[in-house]
Amino acid sequence: MKKNYAMTLLFLLGFLASVPLYAQQTVKGKVIAQEDGEPLPGASILIQGTSTGTVTDIDGYYSIDVPNADAVLVFSFIGFNSKSLPVGSATTLDVVLATSASDLDEFIVTAFGISQEKKSLGYAAQSIDSEAITSTRQQNVVNALQGQVAGVQVTSSGGAPGQSARIIIRGINSLDPSADNQPLFVVDGVPVDNSTTEAADDRAVRGMTNRIADINPNDIETMSVLKGAAATALYGVRAANGAVIITTKKGKAGEIRVNFNSSVGFDNLVKKPRLQDEYGQGFSGARQENSFWPSWGANIAEENDPNYVYQDNWNKAFNTGTLIDNSLSVSGGSDKATFYGSFGRLDQEGIIPFSTWSRTTAKLSGTVTASEKFNFSGSINFTNSGGNRVPHDRFLERMMYWSETTDVSDYINEDGTMKTYGNTNPIYDARFATYEDDVNRVIGNVNFNYSPTDWLTFSYRLGADFSSDSREEITPGPMGIDGSLALDPLGRIEETRINSRDLTSNFYITLKKQWNENWNTQLRVGNDVFERRFDRVTATGEDFVIPGFYNLSNTTQIFAGQLKSNRRLVGFYGDLMVDYKNFIFLNVTGRNDISSTLPTDNNSFFYPSVNLGYVFSENFELPSWVTFGKLRASWAQVGKDTNPHVLGAFFVAPSVFPLNGQVGFSKNSVFGDPNLRPELTTSIEFGTQFAFFNNKANLDVTYYKSNSRDQIIPVPISDATGFSSYITNAGEIENQGWEIVVGGTPIERGDFRWDVSANLTTNRNEVKAIREGIDQIVIGSQFGYVGSTVTMILKEGQAYGNIYGSSYTRPGAVEGTETLDRDLPQLIGANGFPARNGNQLILGNAVPKLFGGIRNQFSYKSFEFSFLVDFRSGLEQYNQFGNFLSAFGKQEDSERRDQTIVFPGVLANGEQNEKPVFLGQGVGPDGVNYGAGYWRNSVRGVSENFVNDATFIKLRNITLAYNLSPELIERTPFRTARLSIAANNILLYTPWDGFDPESFSAGAGGNAVGFTGLGFPGVQSYFVTLNLGL
Amino acid sequence: MKLHNKIRSILGASLVLSASACESFLDVNTNPNSPVDAPISGLMTNITYETSLNVFRSGSAVSNYVQYLASPNPDSGSDTMEPLNFSGTWFSLYNVMTDLNEMNIKAEEAGSLHYLGAGQVLLALNLGMTVDLFGDVPFSESFNFTTVTPKYDDDQVLYGNVISLLDQGIANLRATSQTSIGADDFIYGGDIPTWIKFAHTLKARYLIHSNGGSGFSAAEVLATAAAGFTSNADNAEVIFFEQRFNPWAQIAINNEALLLGGWISEQFIEALDGTSYPVVDPRLPLMIGTTDAGEFVGTENGAGRGNAPEQGARSTLIEDQFYTRTVSPLLISTFSELKFIEAEAAFATDKPRAYQAYLNGIEAHMDMLGVTTVAKTAYLTAPSVAVGASALTMDLIFKEKWVALFLHPETWNDARRFDYAYKDFSPPANLNPNLGGSLIRRLAYPDSEVSRNGANVPSVSLLDRVWWDQ
Repeated sequence: MKKNYAMTLLFLLGFLASVPLYAQQTVKGKVIAQEDGEPLPGASILIQGTSTGTVTDIDGYYSIDVPNADAVLVFSFIGFNSKSLPVGSATTLDVVLATSASDLDEFIVTAFGISQEKKSLGYAAQSIDSEAITSTRQQNVVNALQGQVAGVQVTSSGGAPGQSARIIIRGINSLDPSADNQPLFVVDGVPVDNSTTEAADDRAVRGMTNRIADINPNDIETMSVLKGAAATALYGVRAANGAVIITTKKGKAGEIRVNFNSSVGFDNLVKKPRLQDEYGQGFSGARQENSFWPSWGANIAEENDPNYVYQDNWNKAFNTGTLIDNSLSVSGGSDKATFYGSFGRLDQEGIIPFSTWSRTTAKLSGTVTASEKFNFSGSINFTNSGGNRVPHDRFLERMMYWSETTDVSDYINEDGTMKTYGNTNPIYDARFATYEDDVNRVIGNVNFNYSPTDWLTFSYRLGADFSSDSREEITPGPMGIDGSLALDPLGRIEETRINSRDLTSNFYITLKKQWNENWNTQLRVGNDVFERRFDRVTATGEDFVIPGFYNLSNTTQIFAGQLKSNRRLVGFYGDLMVDYKNFIFLNVTGRNDISSTLPTDNNSFFYPSVNLGYVFSENFELPSWVTFGKLRASWAQVGKDTNPHVLGAFFVAPSVFPLNGQVGFSKNSVFGDPNLRPELTTSIEFGTQFAFFNNKANLDVTYYKSNSRDQIIPVPISDATGFSSYITNAGEIENQGWEIVVGGTPIERGDFRWDVSANLTTNRNEVKAIREGIDQIVIGSQFGYVGSTVTMILKEGQAYGNIYGSSYTRPGAVEGTETLDRDLPQLIGANGFPARNGNQLILGNAVPKLFGGIRNQFSYKSFEFSFLVDFRSGLEQYNQFGNFLSAFGKQEDSERRDQTIVFPGVLANGEQNEKPVFLGQGVGPDGVNYGAGYWRNSVRGVSENFVNDATFIKLRNITLAYNLSPELIERTPFRTARLSIAANNILLYTPWDGFDPESFSAGAGGNAVGFTGLGFPGVQSYFVTLNLGL
Repeated sequence: MKLHNKIRSILGASLVLSASACESFLDVNTNPNSPVDAPISGLMTNITYETSLNVFRSGSAVSNYVQYLASPNPDSGSDTMEPLNFSGTWFSLYNVMTDLNEMNIKAEEAGSLHYLGAGQVLLALNLGMTVDLFGDVPFSESFNFTTVTPKYDDDQVLYGNVISLLDQGIANLRATSQTSIGADDFIYGGDIPTWIKFAHTLKARYLIHSNGGSGFSAAEVLATAAAGFTSNADNAEVIFFEQRFNPWAQIAINNEALLLGGWISEQFIEALDGTSYPVVDPRLPLMIGTTDAGEFVGTENGAGRGNAPEQGARSTLIEDQFYTRTVSPLLISTFSELKFIEAEAAFATDKPRAYQAYLNGIEAHMDMLGVTTVAKTAYLTAPSVAVGASALTMDLIFKEKWVALFLHPETWNDARRFDYAYKDFSPPANLNPNLGGSLIRRLAYPDSEVSRNGANVPSVSLLDRVWWDQ
């Protein structure tokens, strides 16, 4: 037990010294919402004409002492019409409140699934409802958040079926290139796994799934995004990057309801690079039928040969993707018990041939109110998901190598071997080199609440998240047919079995007291235990004895490997809420976490938070058009641990052993600092929230600043030190920015209504400090030909995300400057071409400075129409695809290969360059031999050419829906019927020359987002959806 | 009130209880995947295995520069001498040196002087290979983790370390050891006398590099060589495994499956097929494959295969020859090489000895390949080979050493010392225009060093020479 515990204990117990006791004649009951029958926690009950009152508990129950039978109780709740009821002789009064005409989106589900009045929050939080989630038809709930929430940046890593999407709240907090900077996902109060386990080998990136995609979006009622440390202090280290709180649909008292939802969608490539179509296979302008070079050959028009024509392979190689999504839910219940059950099935085929993903989900949840004092609930969710993951990098790389004058879609011979002129056909590879994952996952939780008295509740929640992921990779070897090109000279099979288990136990006590009409307090103290066990076993077999029979036992070389990990966390926390006259809200939290992953001397850490909300509109007389006004401020800290099993130095037995019965060992190239300390993020936040004209318009503005110090970073270090990576507390990063949310109902006239909501976020960050002795930290690098490899490097005083690389020499550059000034004139060498500068300069920054979205919804009678536009700006990315295109002569610019030009720029002597040079290969018209030509000799070796503006504006979603009118529906067996058509990403404006700049190669797990690599190209989608309710 | 007290005490007690339980509950951070220590013999196994692969990696990096091999594609960076990124090779070299440093410390502590001696010899070899490829490299600030940005040491000073490590290694191998090396040693299986010969052979190799320089002593080389290998049976090599194929064999297998690689340079074939020299070398059919027509046809470096198909029209490495059986040895250092070193060292002072060593070097290589006695004798008596002691030239020594060290990285050291002056040696087509017509003299520092240790990485061009190549 560490010193910190004592502090925590004092902190927690200090609040326990205040417990009410008065026992008189009481009225009890439950307050529920008319719309959905859900209990309303925190509703206020006041004895009319007095200052005595109470609030409902988490399940909507209340109990109040009344002086006599003449008393009148006033039930009120923000966003609902209040109701006054005489007590009379009743001892039980259940009350149903109706929503007021225009509500303010007032409720936010915060920590532990507690629905809290947004008015009372001292920090920014935003939620989106089921309609906004499902209207985009995203199969991955992370994608459904795109452009909808201020401060939240969602990036789809590519258009593959089931491919991961990355979500970052208020910028990068952890500089570790492999750190998960994503928020914690919490489903019905239980944190669940959202990791992305990419293929274990580095041969190919496959666009695997982030695990939250196992959740069926159709089961979700609301999602709220808790952004600051203040909002997440109670979840502890795992929520250091914020939290996404998902509340699933529940059954409601009343008749049984059945909902059916069916959707069909199509995907297409949204954008392609600009490509040349004038030159075919060969090199140096000469046509060669079996050349490795796909498009440095002859001019197709001049050849005038039907066997040498442009094949438009880039359109032939990509299919139209399809998506079929069906789900059925049944829900219902009584006063005592409710249930919700659902099935879902989604099948998707991607635009890259043979890429598939499917998901089957089944969910059952229920609540039982056993007595006034005791209720419990539970849910279980089963998911089976997986598909064939075509390695997009390899597919696109092979597309790059494939001859532009040979039909790529004609890929197979009759005997099943590859049809090729020499290079590997990408479609053949996609079909036969398979990688299939098969995930079985069960997420379950049980909750118990026991309230021995009206001011005390004991709650316990146990959550479990099990998944088994079975993966099989097959690369066929030679088929024994002479002259055929095999995908692998031996053939290989790799079997991977991953078992992961998360257990979360959370026990807490809630104490409530309404001291008088002015003061209301609630204290929660609790204990939280988390464990994640992970075990991956891999067996690889090479060299198939019988071609085409794919089993480990059919190989001559077998290697095995295993990776296990275990991480445990124990937390103690307290949370005090004080409400004064329902217009000042104070919230103080404290939490102590102990992590198994840190050195024992440093593994216990305490962090507090305090936030204040002040609803001044209830305190001051404001102009009548100001409906609501609030100020809020918060200060919070949150700690963060590291990955399990990284401390110290280790030895590893490379998987090649045993050889001749001997097992070799090698020192591991990673060294974990044995004195590692927890990371600590301190954030402050100020905000204000307004509503005008009776809630017709609203505004929410937040400023935030967070400093994360003692960053735990695996610093890549010179191999010559004996290690390649040193995990240590290495730096501090500061993020600050503004979040603005504007919304309202500009028009509401008769049957017509227009709602709009927009959000805008700015983010600025700076690396404040890097540990002494380390000059810079390499976040990642991506290959470019002949010295154009770019590196993302952190240096003190600079912003996160700077991309370094080679550039053109510019004589006017300020001595010692690190940032490239593209406006300066280029130096032209004696050979007439721009001179290259190999010194690494900052060519751009990969973090968007400004992003946001705007959503418009229109409804007229039975029709609804909505569209969502989002954008990001102020960022550059490395266009590796462009680098490859230059090397292989495929980009549109290389059509200039028959030209002779004079490069603008200055010579070494300061004079303007006037030397004409030929851009093509071989001997130019001037008799000079230009060798491999301008693009291969010059362009592809200069990183500057490929670090490009990646700003975009997207029409993310557009939806038109028709609800069958009540008159018509009465003649059907259905309660509701709705038909909608939607399209995603159909408009994209960007200066980027390539596929959709949103795609990046690293997958959602990594932070090196500035590298687009040869990512799975982004798609545009069209959907038709039918919803039926019984 | 009572309830309140009860809660307070229950809560207090449970917190204290859970606190003591906490400690053991949280004690799960012991790495379940990797041990914190490794046995000396386990290190020896990986070191000997990886050292042979480092010879392969280095050899593979430079085989196109010395025109053993050529790319089937035109304008390939390895043919045209572009600045390629050898981060992987650099990592492998330092990774083995890290393990050697670790093993040597353990061996010294345990008094296992044979392990220490063998470790010092292999550290000298890996360091020597690194210096020969890159020039100045980090070493004096390496492996002890005093800095994460180790400085670069002067390459000539590092050669001092190489020689001194070999001397120490020889002394320790001759001393009494607490433990014996055994089957964990993939090179010699614990044969200490041969380890001592190996150390001398390597010392002769590194000494000969400064031939022509100020501190060079031919006598020292000859004296060292005399304690080196005495036959092919002494060759330092790792024989590859059923479970893990020889990497040159893998290249041949890949090429057979049309994953092209291991194509033979036109230059190499013409030197052996009677084009550049009047005699046809009987080793040719034992080293490389023929076209479908049974001919030896090479590929011009930098020009690619032109209209030739992927298979059957050019000579390549093919499986099941001396260098390319799946269980072929990877050669680290050979008796044949030592003989050519002796020939070079004796050339200025003792021509007959040089000539004999030259013939012995050829013969040793031919024996290794299994050339028939008849063919061997024919070659060794051919007028262009058996020129006699007085007519022996350095050109002939370098030419025959070039053939005998096929695919070995030492040849690039020779080529640079010899200024690439092999007969009929022509620069590659599409030669890197930044070299201004000259040929590569060193590798570029790898991208990983430039990005992680940039302030210390010397600014060099591919034409800047390592210290012994002046």
